[in-house]
Amino acid sequence: MKRNKTKRRALWGMMLVILLVVGMVSGCGKKKTSELERKQFIVGFDASFPPYGYKDDNGEYVGFDLDLAQEVCARNGWELVKQPIDWDSKDMELNSGAIDCIWNGFTINGREGKYTWSKAYVDNSQVVIVKADSQIETLSDLAGKIVIVQADSSALAAFTGADATKENIDLAHSFQTLQQVSDYNSAFLNLESGSADAICMDIGVALYEVTQRGSGFKVLSEEVSSEQYGIGFKLGNVELRNQVQTALDAMEEDGTFAQIADLWGLSGSICLGREGTDTAYLQDAGETENSGSSLSGVIKELAMGMGASLLIFFLTILFSLPLGLLIMTIRRSKIWLLQWLARIYISIMRGTPLMLQLLVVFFGPYYVFGLQVSAEFRFYAVILGFSLNYAAYFAEIFRAGVEGIPRGQKEAAFILGYSNVQTFWKITFPQMVKRVIPPVTNEIITLVKDTSLAFALAYTEMFTIAKQTAAAQASIMPLFVAGLFYYVFNFIVALAMERVEKTISWKIV
Amino acid sequence: MHFVAMNSRAVNSNVGLNCYRENIDEMECEKMALLQIDHIKKSFGELEVLKDISMKVEEGEVVSILGPSGSGKSTLLRCATLLETMDDGTLIYDGKTAAESVDGRAVYASKQQLGEIKNTYGLVFQNFNLFPHYTVQKNVTDAPIHVQKRSRAEVEKKAEQLLKKVGLWEKKNAYPYQLSGGQQQRVAIARALAMEPKLLFFDEPTSALDPEITAGILKVLKQLAMEKMTMVIVTHEIDFARKVSGKVVFMDGGLIVEQGRPEDVIDHPDNERTRMFLQKLEKQ
Repeated sequence: MKRNKTKRRALWGMMLVILLVVGMVSGCGKKKTSELERKQFIVGFDASFPPYGYKDDNGEYVGFDLDLAQEVCARNGWELVKQPIDWDSKDMELNSGAIDCIWNGFTINGREGKYTWSKAYVDNSQVVIVKADSQIETLSDLAGKIVIVQADSSALAAFTGADATKENIDLAHSFQTLQQVSDYNSAFLNLESGSADAICMDIGVALYEVTQRGSGFKVLSEEVSSEQYGIGFKLGNVELRNQVQTALDAMEEDGTFAQIADLWGLSGSICLGREGTDTAYLQDAGETENSGSSLSGVIKELAMGMGASLLIFFLTILFSLPLGLLIMTIRRSKIWLLQWLARIYISIMRGTPLMLQLLVVFFGPYYVFGLQVSAEFRFYAVILGFSLNYAAYFAEIFRAGVEGIPRGQKEAAFILGYSNVQTFWKITFPQMVKRVIPPVTNEIITLVKDTSLAFALAYTEMFTIAKQTAAAQASIMPLFVAGLFYYVFNFIVALAMERVEKTISWKIV
Repeated sequence: MHFVAMNSRAVNSNVGLNCYRENIDEMECEKMALLQIDHIKKSFGELEVLKDISMKVEEGEVVSILGPSGSGKSTLLRCATLLETMDDGTLIYDGKTAAESVDGRAVYASKQQLGEIKNTYGLVFQNFNLFPHYTVQKNVTDAPIHVQKRSRAEVEKKAEQLLKKVGLWEKKNAYPYQLSGGQQQRVAIARALAMEPKLLFFDEPTSALDPEITAGILKVLKQLAMEKMTMVIVTHEIDFARKVSGKVVFMDGGLIVEQGRPEDVIDHPDNERTRMFLQKLEKQ
């Protein structure tokens, strides 16, 4: 009879979840915004990418891209909404209609066909300039030659920077020297005098300089790196893209575009109207193609992440419960200093966000003590951070449990001659356990969900995978599946705790 | 908790015995008292709860301590059972000194000595204080087995005998929450007796119980008295005291105002306060 009841309750729970999921998914399909009555234009940007879009010292969102957007809005009669976004969620933001476009020094290269693109308006490609009569035709001809770059430039970064490609690093190794100069003038003097063979620089600057300096130089058609910025719209949203593009083209024509670029020191990089900047723009897939995310694939991937989540969960429980008991004992100490240490510990752990604590545990050793952390430390930091935090909550729950036991229990134990240790383990502890099961169950359920915070340390657990999968597939389905996993997990936890509660058959008198 | 802090400074443990030797000709010491209390004083802050209490309990005696609320009788019991630390005074159990008055302050014996002394007495609480997570059987047997280190077989036999005596053997596997108040109190008595104390204290044993249930407890106490169990009972109930005890101590305002045989103190009180207290109770 009792078994039946539990089973039926489990069934009801499951049905409720399925209903919720179905309801939410079907609700999502109905939305369709009409472009006719557009009043706002919501620009999504990263807020940390100067000079394109960032937060300035006054806390204002400013940048080249935002100024352009402002002007586009002014010409279309829209109100500009600057919406900072989490870069990982940009596709979900865009596809859900929460933002109208991504406009944030957004690199086109490699993303063609994934968005409906504006024409490229900034070109960050790095090119090579040689003398017009040079024998150098391709990049491989640069082997054994002296190549000049400006100090602290994108060109230098392309060869030696952290993001430099392997080809470019190899290319740089083939040079006789990669020489740095402080300004382009001296670079060209070196080239003219023959003390250098080539200069590598931004394409915008290169075209400008070559035009300015007459016919003595040429730009190699092979680029060192190719990077153009455009405005990304939801795939298929040609209507809005065209409206924005028309305004941009007009701005280019009447000089406003160049003016704004000058304001941000980007005159050398802009490329709107230049030939060959509209390849992505012209490549239009009419309809949104579904990347075909299979449910079973998602479930499989998330199930693997679930293992990591479970590991965090069980290890945290394993360490935080005894640690909580210890902290509770210290908190109840008659020694003033110990008691206050415990109080301060609990106050900090409960008063600051868990995510912040995880970051401090992980980065603290390096930033505070200058210690180099090992690769495994990421995992240890997650477990340590979670255990330290949850121990504080458990300590207070345990304290409430202990202090709720009538004083007569301890007196009876004293009269019967139990030692302090015996009194704690035989009398106090079992009665405390009985009292704390409901609040501890609460904490444990919260912990199941909190394991997702491990993503703050880039520890790959289920939620991290769900988010990545959702971003890659531009689908919210992985998040629903993740939610379902968490729910089922917690359902089992709640059932297990109920079972534990029932095995304790005695009642408080 | 204000249990007696186990003092590091041990006092002469044989004061009682010395008294016995030195004053061998005196009647007082000829028959050694099981409990001897001398000039106990206890204050809570400004409030002087025990002003100067001295009393003796002989082996086989049943003593009832009567008195109005706030007279200090419960505090006296808590001091005597070491649940409370007294400020001044001497406390001797069966010749072993638990505390001794030194320069106007009570100095307690070593932890070990107090541990031994605690073996000589038991206490039955007003609200029973059974361990709710133990069965009746385990409530009775746990301390004898794990504190006194007696053999399980012997203790279980003893528990069976005691539980049968209080009429609860068939409830041996029940938890306290499954018992009535009176049943819980009888288990509490069995638990105390299982420790085989020489002296048993009762703190208001019937005041948490209905009057009709009190009769059951009274029966158990009477039987214990017949078996020559030494008992000290703090109580409100005159009738109870009269029926059970051989000696009645009447307390008021932190002092013992009258003591003697129940028929004298209760039926023919000398003291005005005692008379008033008894009259008040009779009217109720």
